[in-house]
Amino acid sequence: MIDTAHQLGGRGTLFPGAPPALDLRGIDKAFDGKPALVDASFRLEWGEVHAIVGENGAGKSTLMNVAAGVYAADGGEQTIDGEARSPRSPMEATAAGLGMVHQHFRLVQSFTVSENILLSLGRDSKIRTPAQAAAAIAAKAAEVGLPVDPARVVADLSTAERQRVEIVRVLLLGARILILDEPTAVLSEDEAKMLLSFVRRLARQGHAVVLITHKFREVAGFCDRITIMRHGKTVMAGAPVADIDEGEVARLMVGEALAVSERPLSRPGAVNLSVSGLTQKPDRFGQGLNALNFELHAGEVLGIAGVGGNGQEELVACLTGLSRQDQGSIRLGGRDLSRASPHDRRKAGLRIIPSDRFEAGLVRELSIAENLALTQVAKGDFGGPFFLDRKGMRHAAAAAILSFDIRGASPERSAALLSGGNAQKVLLARELDAGMKVLVAHSPSRGLDMKATLFVRNAIKQAVEGGAACLLISEDLNEVLSLSHRVAVMNRGSIAGCRAIGDVTPEWIGALLAGHV
Amino acid sequence: MDFLIGWLAIIPSYATPLLLASLGLIICERAGVLNLGAEGLMAVGAMTGAIIVLSGGNPWAALGGGAIAAAALALLFSLATVVKRADHTLSGLAIVAIGLGVTGVLGRPYVQKTFRGIETLGDLFGIDRGTVFGRIVAVQDPVTSALPLIVFALWWWLQKTRSGLRLTAVGENPAAADVAGIDIQLTQLAAVLASGVLCGLAGAYLSVATSHVWVEGMVAARGWVAIALVIFARWNPARALLGALLFGAADALVPRLQAIGADFPVYLTMTAPYILTLGVLVLSSLRGKTSGEPGFLGLVYLRQDKH
Amino acid sequence: MFDAAFLVRRQAPGPLLSGACYAGGLFVGLAISAILLVQAGVPADALVDEFLVATFLTSDGLSQTLTAALPLVLVGLASAVAMRVRFWNIGIEGQLWLGAVAATWVALGGIGPEPLRLPLMLVLGAVVGAAWIALPLWLKLKWGVNEVISTLLLGSIAFLLVQHLLFGVWRDPATNFPVTAAFPEASRFAATGWGQLHYGFLLVGAVTAALWYLLDYTRVGFYADAVGHNIKTARAAGLPVGATVTGLVLLSGALSGLAGVTIIAGTEHRLSQVVGNGYLFSAIVVAYVARAKPVWVLVVALALGAVFTAGNVLKVFYSISEGMIVLVQGTVLISILMAQFFSTYALSRPS
Repeated sequence: MIDTAHQLGGRGTLFPGAPPALDLRGIDKAFDGKPALVDASFRLEWGEVHAIVGENGAGKSTLMNVAAGVYAADGGEQTIDGEARSPRSPMEATAAGLGMVHQHFRLVQSFTVSENILLSLGRDSKIRTPAQAAAAIAAKAAEVGLPVDPARVVADLSTAERQRVEIVRVLLLGARILILDEPTAVLSEDEAKMLLSFVRRLARQGHAVVLITHKFREVAGFCDRITIMRHGKTVMAGAPVADIDEGEVARLMVGEALAVSERPLSRPGAVNLSVSGLTQKPDRFGQGLNALNFELHAGEVLGIAGVGGNGQEELVACLTGLSRQDQGSIRLGGRDLSRASPHDRRKAGLRIIPSDRFEAGLVRELSIAENLALTQVAKGDFGGPFFLDRKGMRHAAAAAILSFDIRGASPERSAALLSGGNAQKVLLARELDAGMKVLVAHSPSRGLDMKATLFVRNAIKQAVEGGAACLLISEDLNEVLSLSHRVAVMNRGSIAGCRAIGDVTPEWIGALLAGHV
Repeated sequence: MDFLIGWLAIIPSYATPLLLASLGLIICERAGVLNLGAEGLMAVGAMTGAIIVLSGGNPWAALGGGAIAAAALALLFSLATVVKRADHTLSGLAIVAIGLGVTGVLGRPYVQKTFRGIETLGDLFGIDRGTVFGRIVAVQDPVTSALPLIVFALWWWLQKTRSGLRLTAVGENPAAADVAGIDIQLTQLAAVLASGVLCGLAGAYLSVATSHVWVEGMVAARGWVAIALVIFARWNPARALLGALLFGAADALVPRLQAIGADFPVYLTMTAPYILTLGVLVLSSLRGKTSGEPGFLGLVYLRQDKH
Repeated sequence: MFDAAFLVRRQAPGPLLSGACYAGGLFVGLAISAILLVQAGVPADALVDEFLVATFLTSDGLSQTLTAALPLVLVGLASAVAMRVRFWNIGIEGQLWLGAVAATWVALGGIGPEPLRLPLMLVLGAVVGAAWIALPLWLKLKWGVNEVISTLLLGSIAFLLVQHLLFGVWRDPATNFPVTAAFPEASRFAATGWGQLHYGFLLVGAVTAALWYLLDYTRVGFYADAVGHNIKTARAAGLPVGATVTGLVLLSGALSGLAGVTIIAGTEHRLSQVVGNGYLFSAIVVAYVARAKPVWVLVVALALGAVFTAGNVLKVFYSISEGMIVLVQGTVLISILMAQFFSTYALSRPS
């Protein structure tokens, strides 16, 4: 079983003949008919840090969720430490020594750290009270070198602290195999470095660690081997990091040559959108807004970079009109929209692409034609007060589907069946219309494959060249850098700095991003 | 003064069914299951209790029988919500319909037949009814007296024990509970059954201990009031005690006034408890996002959803 | 427990599957109800006789069914219209009672000129019904107060008000029963001559047609659907969310009030304690089975009208309690709810 001690020397050396820590072969998984994994495979050895790399939607998380017992695979085999084990629940995976730290932490916010850990301990555990749990946590935390305070309530902890709690929890449950899903996405650069060093130390002590990430560059220095996935398939299995170059990785991840976009020139026009002194008290989850100011000019893209959770959601909600700021003003083309309804803001030329397509952009129960016409019907188009011209809606939808090349769509079809990329195209077709003056795009290419991402970026570029302005808010630094004329960084609810694209350096951005704890 | 003492004396017994039902609902909702079927469960408990006594049974057995009968109906509810993952609101309404319907049909032969209730503390311990204290205590029954203990026990269980924490986790963040190895469905099933037992007990108390009769419609929306009181109590057993006493006081007003032969608009006065409950509900909501509400109340958790 | 490992949510269940599940659930629910009735002492052949033949295939029965269906259509529409925007109107009975009270006041007090008496009753009944739901609506919009409980509490209060009036100022002095005096001719729906059917059916038909047009052919229905499915997106897209919800919820109250007027002006011709009983669950069941579509509400209400008619006969001949009708409705509802499991979720079996 998994109590064999593995003594290790340098990178990836094993006892000769030792079975792999985790071996997945021929894994198939489809969700409601849509394939997510196709004959995927993955092999993890003891003592190594192994990165699974791929774009959003490549299947990395899905594959690991299968290994960790969250999803049930439709086909394939799995062994843990040489024995055939296919965990059918997270608890079975834990019993087999496999622990996963998910992107959204599995912690109860209102409980303290001890109470959360107490939840996970089995019935036969000797730990029965929060006090005993606290002692065990403190001991483990000291042992591995991760500072964790057992008495604090999880809701009060920072993201990095919560992640540490999750790791300690998983280790306390006896995990020898650790799977971390996008661990650095929510951390500053320094925190990320600390985590990656810790993870490497852990591996050298005998564990096996999997890092799921789409940021290859970041983890390259800390991994032993990488596996690349694309469209649910394994396109490169377990290659030693030293043997590959970055270009090849990018090519394998993306599948085709990346179209290099020219650096856009700075072209200042009239001020389209002016936000000044925007303040909002933070709620249970976010940072709130703190005297936020910026100005957006016609013909430009202002990119706001920054780690999520720094007020981006609140900013978009205030701009849309879904929530009201406590203080400050929003002016579009000279009109004061601070207290205007979403309807009036649209009338003034504001358009929104929200980060969560199906939560705030589309209604999945309605048809594609109805979604495309949603905002126009609200304006009064498509018929008069006594009759809704559904035929006209269908025609307009057919035209939009053609011109935006929306695949797998017909006007009558339910929007729920659209893939991520096509759903985003529907949103773009609707929002990028003639009356658009300011576009607020929040993580527009999140979860999209490379082709869809390029489409989205080109659409935004074209719209801006036509005279509109775009506020691009994204955690993806590449996206921000490739589209923006000016770049700002958002930190703790306000703008920490703003520069023209030509003046942006990695040190400047890194410093501003790291300003958040 | 006399009126006041008499009123205080009967408040606890009017608060008891409310409190029992609320406690059951707190357990159920803390596990994430919204149970709107309380009215139907209480009706089943009330009718069963009455039938058992009228058939010659012991009143204490009647209380137990009422609890068990309601638990059976709650089993149906859990089949719909926990196993079949049907919409909680509509399922609850269906349970109310089934509960009221079944009791209307089966209870017909037993309507308006009065019977003896359970013993009071005065009967059991021979308390001197001369003093004010004595007058108030003598009228209480063992169930009512046990309530503070029950409230404390539930509070302690929820806050301090591991199983109580696990229950709360299921309703608050089922993804976290799932990963911790807690069987979500089993927990919810147990919680729903517990609410059935307590609501049934509440209903049985209503017929066996308070009114000593079975009449169709005697639950009179108390199940709904209990649901409102859970919100007021912020899902905390101790606050539920306070809410139940408040409502019990309003509920006890009409019988008290009738007892002293006062001339007052009966039906209008009977609206007092409902207006009070409405007021209490509004006050609780004024506090903004209701604190204490289980994060996943009424929602269906699927392990294979994206979390 | 059993299937936690395999359950997946379906993205878009096809209409065939959804329809089949609905039909299956309905069938099972009715079958169980039939068994319950037989257990309660109704011979099986009498069931078919009473529920199908007597209610639809005889002239008397059909007119009785239609008459019983009229208020059911209105409350079914009331429930459906509110359901569309995710507002649970559990106080339909209370709004119905108060509509009836308003109409009684006009009828007994001889308010207004005679030819306008009936229209006045209808309008006032609708207004009062809307007013009674306005408070829970406002509480929900302003402070997020749960409308399930608030509408229900107001319903209880409304019934107490009715009893106060019936045992008080409106009590029939001749018999001393809690019943009002009979309404004069001017305050009644004229009888058509076919059994108990009265001309109120024209009103009900017109209302149904109007709502059908409103929801299916104007943008109001479009707004309602968007708001009901995803209120956040609807708001962000600039839809008049507040107006849509307010309008449809008030309409729901008005329809319930109208139902109250229809009952006392059409059938009862006086206010008593039985006027509004049992309509709450009927409203919800009708609206749910009819998937909140006005035309289907008409059909389902007709079916339920048959159940009510048959139920009355069973009550007289086989001593079946009224509770049976409520029980049948609850059984059918929970049966359909459970059947929906198969169209909402799928089992993904590992190989």
